[in-house]
Amino acid sequence: MDIFTSLAIIAFAALIHASFQLSVSVLTLLSSHTIGAKRSRAKLLRLTSSFVGGAALMSLLLLVSAAFVFLQLFGAPVSLEVWAIACSVVLGIGVAVWLFYYRTKKAGTELWIPRAFAKHLTSRTKATRASVEAFSLGLTSVISELIFIIPTLTISALILLELPSQWQLVGALVYTLVSSLGLIVVWSLVGSGHSISRVQKWREKNKRFLQFSAGSALVALGFFIYINEVVALATGVL
Amino acid sequence: MHEGGNIQTHVVKNGRHRHPEAFEREKLHKSIVAACLGSGAPTGNAESTARRVVDEVVSWLQKRPEVTSNDIRRVAAKALRTYHPDASYLYEHHRSIM
Repeated sequence: MDIFTSLAIIAFAALIHASFQLSVSVLTLLSSHTIGAKRSRAKLLRLTSSFVGGAALMSLLLLVSAAFVFLQLFGAPVSLEVWAIACSVVLGIGVAVWLFYYRTKKAGTELWIPRAFAKHLTSRTKATRASVEAFSLGLTSVISELIFIIPTLTISALILLELPSQWQLVGALVYTLVSSLGLIVVWSLVGSGHSISRVQKWREKNKRFLQFSAGSALVALGFFIYINEVVALATGVL
Repeated sequence: MHEGGNIQTHVVKNGRHRHPEAFEREKLHKSIVAACLGSGAPTGNAESTARRVVDEVVSWLQKRPEVTSNDIRRVAAKALRTYHPDASYLYEHHRSIM
């Protein structure tokens, strides 16, 4: 696989990561509570910026950790079996996202995560006053959506291992930047004075589309990687 | 039923191990102000809207000795919809954001 294709796959996986909504939900709640508590706009910007920074850093850390673990376990380049397992994880979670991503068919954007977890995140969001707390909330929110981002992290980490070392850093940065796009959009909307209710209404109106596109994109990514890595290598095309 | 601006209605909250609490006007006022501000309303407008909505909820609470917090939320959201539909949406759905 050439460098451009590898980076394009990483960017595509990161875009799928960006379409997941847990961190966006936490950021929306954080903004809502900060505005509702009559804190200044500067404070709002500090808290939301710290949150986005924390989420981006955790995405980067998870990606490089996954790459390091895969390198230690499987070496580079990875075998057909590893690619095949990774593809089945991607396809499986893609189908699960189609079926289970949102919790109810009622109004709202409740996600399919344990309720105790959601309650804890909500109470931490309400209690967030300082930038450092918002930063750690950003770190935590990415860990909380790990179940959804495992496939995008896995594929990106395996692709990173195939890149020349100078391009691995570029790949990791591309993933971090693109996976943070959803947060950056909400951050800029809130920062530019858009109301939280409009942001939340948009999210609710488009939740089924986001769910379908995230699931479909995962399935497409799984098939592409399967054909490109497993079938092509097995049949000796590459 | 009024006592110093507050009424003697007990509110049964969501979840287990929760005992009924006395209705607090100020608590409701604060949550409605927060919803209005989150919907882009100016502070003065948010405060006056919240006062009107709380008055409507208080009049609904007359002769009701015990209600659930969901009842209050539903009645307050309905009253708020008249003054600020976006704020009403946020007030009603803020628990289902995540």
